[in-house]
Amino acid sequence: MCLIAAGIDVFGRSIKYHRPRGPWCLSGHCSGCLMRIDGIPNQRSCEIHCRSGMLVERQSGWPGTGFDMLRAVDWLSGERLDHHSMFTSSSTMNRLAARIVRRFSGYGDPPSADPPAAVPMRKQDAKTVIIGAGAAGLSAALALASAGHELLLFESSRRVGGRLLDAATSISEPGGRADDQIESGWSCLQKIEKRLADSSGIETHTGTGVLAVYPGERFEVLASNLEQTFLVRAERLIICSGAYEQLPLFANNDLPGLFGIRALDRLVCGYGVVPGEPLVVVGDSERALRLADLLAENDLTLSGVVTKRREGEAIDRLRARGVPVFFDYKPTGARGGRRLDRIELAPAGGLEADLILDCRACAIEAPAAPAYELAYHAGCRVGFASDSGYQVTTEGDGMTSHGNIFAAGHCTGSRSTEEALLHGEQAGRACALSIREEES
Amino acid sequence: MSKTIVCRCEDVSLSDLEDAFKQGYHDLESLKRYTGFSTGFCQGKGCTAHAARFLAGLQGGDDMVADPPRVRPLLHPTPAIRFAGEDDGGGEENT
Repeated sequence: MCLIAAGIDVFGRSIKYHRPRGPWCLSGHCSGCLMRIDGIPNQRSCEIHCRSGMLVERQSGWPGTGFDMLRAVDWLSGERLDHHSMFTSSSTMNRLAARIVRRFSGYGDPPSADPPAAVPMRKQDAKTVIIGAGAAGLSAALALASAGHELLLFESSRRVGGRLLDAATSISEPGGRADDQIESGWSCLQKIEKRLADSSGIETHTGTGVLAVYPGERFEVLASNLEQTFLVRAERLIICSGAYEQLPLFANNDLPGLFGIRALDRLVCGYGVVPGEPLVVVGDSERALRLADLLAENDLTLSGVVTKRREGEAIDRLRARGVPVFFDYKPTGARGGRRLDRIELAPAGGLEADLILDCRACAIEAPAAPAYELAYHAGCRVGFASDSGYQVTTEGDGMTSHGNIFAAGHCTGSRSTEEALLHGEQAGRACALSIREEES
Repeated sequence: MSKTIVCRCEDVSLSDLEDAFKQGYHDLESLKRYTGFSTGFCQGKGCTAHAARFLAGLQGGDDMVADPPRVRPLLHPTPAIRFAGEDDGGGEENT
């Protein structure tokens, strides 16, 4: 975040075409922010706190990221590069090519610093492990704890909350109040945290990513943070691993300056870092429009908001502030040398002319891809939905195809944050019920 | 040069996928092994859904991509030193 605040946009070069790369998910999932930090390569810089005296280097080849020799590959290769048949006609040619690539690519430099000390491996047993402390995971934890059961909760981020932490998240008040009674995700999270503090039997580890779930008579859950590694034998699992933000496919969709909607939310509203102005927001959801509204409210320059929604309070407010709002356009290309300069959009109907918006940063919405991997490791059935991706198959109450695994929230398909809260609660209750059945 | 990138970690463009499909890689697993999408740093978090949609679109249905490509632990690249520590003895391990 400090690097973006310092005006750095290109964090590295891509592996094959040597195109400029910058962070875009800002949640530790993508490879856009990889850097060499204090002599250790391939670190996700977006997840690491900046310290005085920290040595942060780009990992590109000679002479540097700004003028990468091999960027010529991108220009010469046209639309694709078939590395299976390149330089394979003679073995001498092949050896020479491999040597050149190794010399100039910049990847694969071993660490120059001593490795960090080994961390203790903590082995323990647990009745229930909940993976992920977002909206679904937190409400599952509350439901389980209020039924009197102990549980272990792992969250990979430094703070619990997931989507509830985003400034653009809004929740309709549960309990049958009118639709216009909405509260912010933040205030909802504070209520949940208060209830969590009052509950007993919940052991929470933040900054602790679950790396694998090994199936067996009991599940072995492998999780790790900077201080220790956990190997937990669990009787039951509730998987609330959420979803990965995606960027849509269009020409040059990898240019630095393009962000996911949630990423820009975290960057601007969470950290107060503006990656560049003017900004453009492209998205159809309530969340995207609320983000645009928040940006405009904070006097940031928006050169346009592109959406399908034709009405709503956010749109009225944006227009009142003089922000141009465009309906029914799809992004077709991003332009810029080393970073985003403008975004090109084509009308969905095809009647109007194409639209070109100047911008230095742009948040674009695409359906998030459910994080199905851990459930898949554990042996749950996984299905494909063309609107989002692979997702954990569940019954209504969060039962998966495996009797002792429950799943809830965005890892089971796209839904709203309040649906995720409800789904988590159902999964927590179903898990409590299954423990009671076994005990009786 | 304009490219539509499907997998950012391994630099796999949409044209790379189209080319592989033309060469006969018609299922997700072999498409992945040939082009290398989902085998990079992020382990497929940003590209698997895109690639599956690409294949489903060409083959006229989601049935062809009903199963995800093989995913193996670990979920994130993790330094091996994290697993080199000794048991801290705090657990109730049964051997």
